[in-house]
Amino acid sequence: MKKKYAMVVDSSVCIDCKACMVSCKVQHSLPRGHWRNWIKEMRPDFSLGKYTYGHFQPGNCMHCENPTCVHACPSGATYKDEETGIVQINEDFCIGCGNCIVACPYFARYRHPVRRVPDKCDYCQDRLAMGLQPACVDTCPTKARVFGDLNDPESEAAFLLRTRDTVKITTSPEDTKPNMYYLASTEPMDWPGEVKYPAAHSTMTGLVNPLFKIAVGLSGLAVAAMLIRQIFSGSQSSEQEEKKEEA
Amino acid sequence: MQDGKTPISRRRFLQTSMAAAAVGAGLQSPLVKGLVPRVQAAGSRPDQGEITSHFTACDMCFNRCGMIARKQNGVIKKLDPNPKCLKSRGMICARGNAAVKHIYNPDRLKYPLMRKGKRGEGNWERVSWEEALDYTAEQLMDIAEKHTRCGVMFTPGVDSQARFVQQFADVFGSYNITNHESLCLLSRNRAYLDTFGEVPYPDVLHSRYIIIAGANPLEAFITPDTTDLIEAKKNGCRIVVLDPRFTRTAALAHEWHQIRPGTDMAFFLALCHVIVKGERFCCPDKTFGYDKFVEHVAKYTPEWAEKECGIPARDISRIAHEITEAAPRAMVYPGRRTSDYEDSTQIRRAMAITNVLLDNWDRPGGLLASREVGVRSPFYHIPWYDDNPFDRVEAGKASGLFDDIGSFQLMREAVISGEPYPIRGWFSFKTNFMQTAPDRQKTIRMLDNIDFFVNIDIFMSDTAWFADVVLPGNSFLERKDPVHPLQGSSACACAFIRDPVVEDMFESRPPFWILQELSKRMGFGESFDFTIEEYRKKQVEGLDGALEIMHRDGIYFNPSKVYGIYAGSPLKTLSGVKEIYNQRYERSGDDPMPVYRRPSNPPEGQFRLVVGRTAFFTQSRTNNELLTEFMEENTLHMHPESAERLGLKNNDLVEVASRAGKDRLRLEIDEGIEKRTVYMATGFGSLSPQMSLVYKKGASIAEILEDTHDEITGNAAMHETLVSVRKVS
Repeated sequence: MKKKYAMVVDSSVCIDCKACMVSCKVQHSLPRGHWRNWIKEMRPDFSLGKYTYGHFQPGNCMHCENPTCVHACPSGATYKDEETGIVQINEDFCIGCGNCIVACPYFARYRHPVRRVPDKCDYCQDRLAMGLQPACVDTCPTKARVFGDLNDPESEAAFLLRTRDTVKITTSPEDTKPNMYYLASTEPMDWPGEVKYPAAHSTMTGLVNPLFKIAVGLSGLAVAAMLIRQIFSGSQSSEQEEKKEEA
Repeated sequence: MQDGKTPISRRRFLQTSMAAAAVGAGLQSPLVKGLVPRVQAAGSRPDQGEITSHFTACDMCFNRCGMIARKQNGVIKKLDPNPKCLKSRGMICARGNAAVKHIYNPDRLKYPLMRKGKRGEGNWERVSWEEALDYTAEQLMDIAEKHTRCGVMFTPGVDSQARFVQQFADVFGSYNITNHESLCLLSRNRAYLDTFGEVPYPDVLHSRYIIIAGANPLEAFITPDTTDLIEAKKNGCRIVVLDPRFTRTAALAHEWHQIRPGTDMAFFLALCHVIVKGERFCCPDKTFGYDKFVEHVAKYTPEWAEKECGIPARDISRIAHEITEAAPRAMVYPGRRTSDYEDSTQIRRAMAITNVLLDNWDRPGGLLASREVGVRSPFYHIPWYDDNPFDRVEAGKASGLFDDIGSFQLMREAVISGEPYPIRGWFSFKTNFMQTAPDRQKTIRMLDNIDFFVNIDIFMSDTAWFADVVLPGNSFLERKDPVHPLQGSSACACAFIRDPVVEDMFESRPPFWILQELSKRMGFGESFDFTIEEYRKKQVEGLDGALEIMHRDGIYFNPSKVYGIYAGSPLKTLSGVKEIYNQRYERSGDDPMPVYRRPSNPPEGQFRLVVGRTAFFTQSRTNNELLTEFMEENTLHMHPESAERLGLKNNDLVEVASRAGKDRLRLEIDEGIEKRTVYMATGFGSLSPQMSLVYKKGASIAEILEDTHDEITGNAAMHETLVSVRKVS
């Protein structure tokens, strides 16, 4: 059965300890200054005196039902995995145009400074494969983050969604239909930006695309030719060099 | 390239073909679709190797949360919580997650070093372990001969192997042992010991009403209290926070009262005033001095307290009524770092007595007694040295000094004066007084009287920077540690062990090995002639299968009694009951019941400096690239109105000066801080260039805080310092 992974967050219990951010950073070896997740903070209203309160809001890529980043991608590198609902990036197909980064109103993507490709939360699919929770969920001291499959009625996430009131941080005019739910209410709500599609985008997808398909075909031929050459000239020396490079 | 051809390497090949494939859009081409997965499998992502999991326990602070280390190709890649660890409630915080950069830190000490130039000059020479150990043993023995064995002071840090440093000091023959605790929690310990006979564990999880004053448990993690506080709140527990700062704990509390710093006692005495009037208190017969106390608090009315602490009288009365309604499942949270005022012990006594009135001792949702863990401390013989002085060097300098811990500041005073006898050697393991003890210049001055100073640590801390010999200890992930017993409030009584996840890096060595080698050279090798395995076996004698369970689950639980441990038997106080009126204080000339003293008001233009920490740093352990991302340097928090009066703007570089010293840092405008108070975090303005991320970044609390201490325990008084702040152009 197809899965629909989502996160249900009780932001009222977030203590802003940053554990999720470090856990994610270590799990994915993220570069300094860049994050796949965040904790947002409301501005306290001190005029409330003794009732002044704070609210912290954990978040990450919302793996939207209407993923504007996917629409913005001209190469098909960014896609929504139909089996899991995870918005994925196939770096091998990425041309580094950066359209997806500006198309995400949640600023969930950044350009990796070394690899020059966009990077974002993938719900720790390597950990899921090992039977582990995403790094941010696993480590959370107050278990503010609940991750699960909404198509599995037994999952805690599905249960919470069924039994509790939730809110989503949506955008307009284009609704991203995020798969990130916050229990009861959350603050701040006004931080998402605009969905920005580059001007050339529609032209490119609508007009240029067919031409690109031909290019793909041609490049495929080139790849095949390279492979044949590799197979026939696969000498000992190339293997040695290869080992050296991998070491 | 034997045959002269230039074969295209696989990587080059892939780069080329990927570039070709990447040009395409749509990816509908069946050729590309079919080809790409095989190319990937052929090695564009080299095989990463199997991931293995290893139980361990965190050592990034004192809590020791259960951890699972994920290792791949001999390298620790990730640290995850051990879900079976009830103490930590299956979590690890930011610091625990950052432990990968604790072990894999370019600043780690790599081999033994000996000082060549002057102290603090940084002129080091790499030496062999043999040479370093020989020299250290010779120097320590030389001091022992010239100045008796008490002529060397020992400062073991918080560590599973600190017990061996204690044992080493005992067998060597010095009673001058102190640790970080006199910069931290001794006043709380004293107050609760002198009220209940032991230091309690708050049963936060089952409480219905908690007052938190002088503590910030949502940032200064205590497991399981921190997580349990949130869980208790979900279950309807009311949380009232008194703090001059709007901390994370204040942010999530039901109410936050911005109390004037240093006036907590006024609040609690007034609270008691209302409670005893209400006659809801059920058991005066189980206390000593209740009647005297009723008389004592008669003058401490809520109206009086309002003038002192700034919290409205009607709020004090209301809180008193609410908390007595919730009692006995209610508490004043005892807190941990209570090194704040010169009457810290008395302030905490006022809180402890409030707990007495709530009748919450040894009961669910209240304050718990120590549970049985069952782990033993193996016996060792402590020799007698005839020439040793009668007592520790600072004995008698404070009425409630702890015999076994003493006070760093009072000891420092004695070293400087040479009275009552000289201390000429310092053996430090994993303590960093240069960054944490008030009046750093005085600590530097103390070194003038120290002939030999050896430091074991994994980094060149500010303290190590001033040492004569620096020995690289290994990290907790490289260790085989003895069994470590712990209590996690009502959650558990537990024990764990650590086995090496990876081998010792560089030339670092376990502290236990260092002590074994030194003891051999110093003539008491037989005292350390055992292995960690042998030691562990002795520790768990009588606990069947405990070690196997620790290996299997990473943690062992003893299902010992949680509540009603005393079951009517006398408490460990002089009277055998809860001492509201303390008889020992009467004898020593201290107030037998807490008497309020108004803290000095900062004169115009000055501020009271309060210090603390965030959830992502453990005091001075800031040198971690994963954590400094949240704070690259500390800032001085100041209320916008105060800043405006001084003409200061956010991010201005300011100089903070006290009578002890001055340092520079950036200003942070903070609407949540009391107007005559400024705040800065611990762990910055480092003197050691090998703490590369925090070297000269921000300011050090140790440089600015004045040398004041709690009168009863000698615990540091870190909130007594008044400072002036000026802009540096």
